Amino acid sequence: MSDIKSDNTQNMDSDQLEPNYWRSFEALYNDPTVIEAKGHEFKEGVTDDFSATGMSNLSRRKFLALLGASAAIAGTACTDYRDKGEIVPYNIKPEEITVGKPNFYASTCTACANACGILIKTREGRPIKVDGNPDHPVNKGKICAKGQANILNLYDPERLKTPLIGRNSSFNEVSWKDADSDIINALASANGKEIAIVTNPITSPTTSKVIEDFKSKYPATKVYSYSLFNDDIKNSAWQKTFGSGKYPLIKWNEAKVIVALESDFLGVDGNKIENSRLFAEGRDVETKSFNRLYCIDSTLTITGNNSDYRLRLRPEAQIEFVMSLMNELSSKGALNLSVNTSGYSLSGFATKYNLNKKVLDQLVKDLASNKGKAIVDAGISLSENVHVAVNLLNEALGNFTMFRSDSVVNIFAENSSVQEIDSLIQKINDGNVAAVIHFDCNPVYHLAQDFGYKKALSKAGLVVTLSERENETTFVSKYVLPINHNFESWGDAKTRTGVISLQQPVIAPLNSTRQKESILLTWINGKSDSFNETLYHEYLMKNWEVSIYQTLNSKLDFKRFWFGALHDGIVLTNDIPSISRSFNNAVTGLLSANVSEKGFAVIIKESYNVADGSFSHNGWMQELPHPVSKISWDNYAAVSEKTCKDLGVENFDMIEIKIGDRKLSLPVFMQAGTADNVVVIESGFGRQNSGTVANEVGFNSNLLMSKNSNLSQWIYSDATITKTGDSYKLASSQEHHAFDDPKVQDLHKSRHIIQEATVAAYVKNPHVIKEKHHEDQPSVYDPHPYNGLKWGMAIDLNKCTGCGDCVVACNVENNIPVVGKDQVLVSREMQWLRIDRYYSGTPEDPQVSMQPMLCQHCDQAPCENVCPVVATNHSPDGLNQMVYNRCVGTRYCSNNCPFKVRRFNFFNFRDHFRDSFQENPILALMHNPEVTVRSRGVMEKCTFCVQRISEGRADATHENRKLKGSDITTACQDSCGSNAIYFGDINDKESEFYKYRNHELGYYVLEELNVKPNVTYIAKLRNIHSEEV
Amino acid sequence: MNIDYSQEMPTVAGRLTLAQIEELVAKPMDTKPDKKFYIALSISGTLLMIGATMLAISLYYGTGMWGNNQPVGWAFPIVNFVFWVGIGHAGTLISAILFLLRQKWRTGIARFAEAMTIFAVICAGIFPVIHTGRPWLAGYLLPYPNQHGLWVNFTSPLLWDVFAVSTYLTVSFVFWYVGLIPDFATMRDRSSSKIKKTIYSTFSLGWRHSNRHWTHYEKAYMLLAGFATPLVLSVHTIVSFDFAVSILPGWHATIFPPYFVAGAIFSGFAMVVTVLVFVRKIFDLQHIITIDHLEKMNKIILATGMMVGYAYAMEFFIAWYSGNPVESFVFINRAFGPYAWAYWIMVSCNVIFPQFFWFRKIRRSIPIMMVIVIFVNVGMWFERFVITVTSLSRDFLPSSWAYYKPTLVDGGILLGSFGLFFTLVILFTKALPVVSISEIKAVADGAQPTHHGGEHHE
Repeated sequence: MSDIKSDNTQNMDSDQLEPNYWRSFEALYNDPTVIEAKGHEFKEGVTDDFSATGMSNLSRRKFLALLGASAAIAGTACTDYRDKGEIVPYNIKPEEITVGKPNFYASTCTACANACGILIKTREGRPIKVDGNPDHPVNKGKICAKGQANILNLYDPERLKTPLIGRNSSFNEVSWKDADSDIINALASANGKEIAIVTNPITSPTTSKVIEDFKSKYPATKVYSYSLFNDDIKNSAWQKTFGSGKYPLIKWNEAKVIVALESDFLGVDGNKIENSRLFAEGRDVETKSFNRLYCIDSTLTITGNNSDYRLRLRPEAQIEFVMSLMNELSSKGALNLSVNTSGYSLSGFATKYNLNKKVLDQLVKDLASNKGKAIVDAGISLSENVHVAVNLLNEALGNFTMFRSDSVVNIFAENSSVQEIDSLIQKINDGNVAAVIHFDCNPVYHLAQDFGYKKALSKAGLVVTLSERENETTFVSKYVLPINHNFESWGDAKTRTGVISLQQPVIAPLNSTRQKESILLTWINGKSDSFNETLYHEYLMKNWEVSIYQTLNSKLDFKRFWFGALHDGIVLTNDIPSISRSFNNAVTGLLSANVSEKGFAVIIKESYNVADGSFSHNGWMQELPHPVSKISWDNYAAVSEKTCKDLGVENFDMIEIKIGDRKLSLPVFMQAGTADNVVVIESGFGRQNSGTVANEVGFNSNLLMSKNSNLSQWIYSDATITKTGDSYKLASSQEHHAFDDPKVQDLHKSRHIIQEATVAAYVKNPHVIKEKHHEDQPSVYDPHPYNGLKWGMAIDLNKCTGCGDCVVACNVENNIPVVGKDQVLVSREMQWLRIDRYYSGTPEDPQVSMQPMLCQHCDQAPCENVCPVVATNHSPDGLNQMVYNRCVGTRYCSNNCPFKVRRFNFFNFRDHFRDSFQENPILALMHNPEVTVRSRGVMEKCTFCVQRISEGRADATHENRKLKGSDITTACQDSCGSNAIYFGDINDKESEFYKYRNHELGYYVLEELNVKPNVTYIAKLRNIHSEEV
Repeated sequence: MNIDYSQEMPTVAGRLTLAQIEELVAKPMDTKPDKKFYIALSISGTLLMIGATMLAISLYYGTGMWGNNQPVGWAFPIVNFVFWVGIGHAGTLISAILFLLRQKWRTGIARFAEAMTIFAVICAGIFPVIHTGRPWLAGYLLPYPNQHGLWVNFTSPLLWDVFAVSTYLTVSFVFWYVGLIPDFATMRDRSSSKIKKTIYSTFSLGWRHSNRHWTHYEKAYMLLAGFATPLVLSVHTIVSFDFAVSILPGWHATIFPPYFVAGAIFSGFAMVVTVLVFVRKIFDLQHIITIDHLEKMNKIILATGMMVGYAYAMEFFIAWYSGNPVESFVFINRAFGPYAWAYWIMVSCNVIFPQFFWFRKIRRSIPIMMVIVIFVNVGMWFERFVITVTSLSRDFLPSSWAYYKPTLVDGGILLGSFGLFFTLVILFTKALPVVSISEIKAVADGAQPTHHGGEHHE
């Protein structure tokens, strides 16, 4: 043993650094053979068989090369590689484009005649989002649902792409040159026969100049303007009452008492964006100053939903109501009237129409005590005598102070009268019209059937329709000329005095379309080859230089002025409106209330979503639930519960409405709050030949309209209704619960989902809502400390009108697909944000509560701990996140969400809707590139616009500053006309948002569940004469 | 009737000799299938194919082919899942718990019940996978280490389900297979066909009926029985957690675990009785699966049915007693809301009809028993429907309420699951001994010699 030891030690000594590893005793005892063998690299005999020539001549290099090549081949062969066309990088980067950064261009929205100023967001040259232009004095940075959804119109796969020539209802493509030369020939050879231009009201000074030029080139031209819904009666009544001018704009923000008679100023009457903003300013919890809104109308509207008091009344009785109201006021000594109203009695009226006398008393008192601070507004559909009476009442109450003097509505040309349109049709029928040019309008659908317009068109020499897409009118035209979309067009608009809005294109025309004014200019030039892309652009600039620029006394030279104006999108002018009132006493002769009130009254209303049909091809608008009934994809006959019982019909039964010889069958919907024996129908549905989305959706209410109406073109009395025996399914995003079912009645109140108080109660006790609060309960999990930035939202229910603009803004921002009626029927709509509507009270006089409902981003989110794969989790800045890639689609999160705000992709909805309509590649251009397009089987929900937060954070990092809550706005917040939505950092004590987050009227929905939501609702205060809601 | 309670009733009636027993049980495997077999198989096969087609349609187009909607995220597939897991409970209860409690009467029905358990769990296991929006990603539910650093969420009851159901299936299968080994050997010995012999030999794992084999076998069987017993309770407890752990009123209830276990045994026994009534008739097993067996099972059905009834009543009581208005609403809504029809089907099938089993005559009358157990099967399916769908369709916010209506595809998949179950059952009857030959021999008259010559009842 000692030997071994010493040997070992010797070895250690000789080679200090390397320990002596031994594999055998021979090695340990330094057997010479082992030492010898150690010298060889290989063991003896191992290399005997080695022969370089016997080896494969595949070198290692070559082997690796082949391996790489075969992997590459295998890889590419197995992928579904298709040539996606040219993908060209920016070799020379355009100056204005930074890849990944959006550009914003100021322009003008032409989705309706209000022509609001907009900012169009483009990414790499593609328009993807529309917001209001903050510099525009009318809409002040906000834009309505239609303006938002306009982006879908641009990319609509069914836009007309080339000019068409029609022969016997079949259309063939034709070149612009051939079409133009044929039309120019026809125009030139009119030989004294009339050339009719039919158009919707023109809001553009330059377009109207183009038409003037056209008229001077072709002197036989006559222009006919119409719009399905207009202020004509209101304006003519104003003129008759006060001699001149137009019905002025109203200071909704200053009025203390607002009486809306069949008026939907928060919905479809006037500019709803501006009206909502001003109205909401008058309902501010900060200043505790609240206006009081009385609605006296035939059915629930957005305005009615927001009213403090509402009375339902047949539209024919409005005149009697105003006269009775005046009589009551004057008998109380509150009025000095120039008209004798003694034949009317308010209490008699209340008895006759079964109106709440208490409410009427309050109304009389409020009007009497708020002289000069109240306004009575009659809806556009009411007959002239009501407007005259209302003018008289406002004048007598001294309420003219509530009319704005800074600006009035600007109109370039009056709408044509019924007689003028009749004479056009007469001339066509007589063969005296050489050409009818439909200048971006759809009269075949819009004009009342008894005009016989469609039939007459077959006798016109040449029918040319300028249109973005197929419709009823293009179908009967000889030439159908495709025109540019709003975002591809140049233009200007002047809808108010004092401001002109500019429109600039943000994308080159996607198809072979032309600006509609350029088409006229080409015809004016008389040469089919005179068209070029800049034709109208130059004309517009020229017109501005010559006529508008001159009036402005600008110190800048024109070029600089022009580019500045384009940048701003608006030019403020100094034309001050002249508002002079001199009451015309003769007008009192019009005031007689002997309107017959027989049968059913039918009211045709502009649709909140598809307007007069101009948005019926737009899936987002069709799918936006009606703000009151929550029905999408249809119109219906809204009738009261009692009338339903009288008729023996139930919800969704088909009825036939007959007015004279005009008939329409459509489904019944029992709308709470509708006056008895009144049928309210929205327009814009029942389209034909108008494309995949619009066709056969709903029922064409225009069929009930007549050119001869005793009240107005929208109100008809003496209709008869019969039950057809059929029924029809209406798709609604909310279940319709019976009012008299005690199980479900007022659940939203008993569950504290809706918490409300009155202004009186709040003034008395500011903590009226907070007192109901639950104490914070402990949690099983350790709560995460949110010390840094933490996102939250506050929604002021006093300001929210429930219009739904935010829903569409969210759709656009977050690439939300359209699911279609069949899917809404099985309640699978995808909107991340919805407006919940609750009724309380009776079906006759319901109290309506609205509540935008979106992901509450709960601190202790119940959805998060049930997801088996952690696809939904929480971010350190308080967001409830959804990881689409990880989502397996168990839907457990949705089941466990008490707010049911999660949305599941039951199908690939883009593929499912209307035979893959939304899979059209062009629609891919519309998507927001910052937001994932979700696939089938994945859960999704509101993200608080996390892409905007990320962008804001990147910008902050780039600028080396801290991200602040106020840096970020969400899409819904941006669109909210009444500024009801606040978003920001919960921990930032200095911010404006903090005030609302911790407001004494703030509450959480379902607070008792202790899920700790991050959306605060500011309780609605009703301005009623009581402390009890 | 005069019953002597001091003596056990004979487990096998008719004084069959051991050879007769073997002959009787092995007969279906020794003979060629007859026409009736093919008719039965083609019916169940058709149902299976309907289900497979409907499933293919839903996989191709998406879960949208079903009636599920926004508030009702879970519907038919989850109802079916819970239903089939419940059916699967009788087998383990009979084979494991009754074995440990030395209930000799179990031997006649244990094998069949165990087989049904496995088939039912197979049927059940399909649903959690196919109900997801993206079934091809079901692997995400397994905690496997991966480069993304992604892990599963152990706080989610769905994940517990994955483990509970797979454990249950594995243990049930092992238990069943171990019990089958001596019979495989018997079949091997009886068989003369080469193919059959090879198969049976393989599965009999070299069993030679030796004393040592039996000693080991009995010990292993006892251990497995002990291992399987807690699973009877755990599986349905965990399935009930899918509901109880959520915050949804109508789901969030502490009574759910015992209530679900009782319900599972209730439905499982009902299904076993349903099938056994046919099997004993078709395969001439009246002497082995006697009317006494059926009566005993009916007694358990009566007992568990009342437990379920108690749970129904208790849910209502607690809903009222808790003072939680949302909770109370859910239960009032169940009984009187839009799904009242489903609720009353459930109550009458599960609570009212089983009360007839108080009468001995009814317990022993095959036609009446048949009607009642089918009602119980229907009722228990509806119980799961009522729990899942009614709670979801009307929860906290009235604005998001919606009525759920199943589609044809939903119905087709449910039919398909029955098709799969019965196809497996039918194939089983022809491929394996439906009664444990070795165990039944052990409880036959004279099989256990005693000091008074094995004749212990006279």
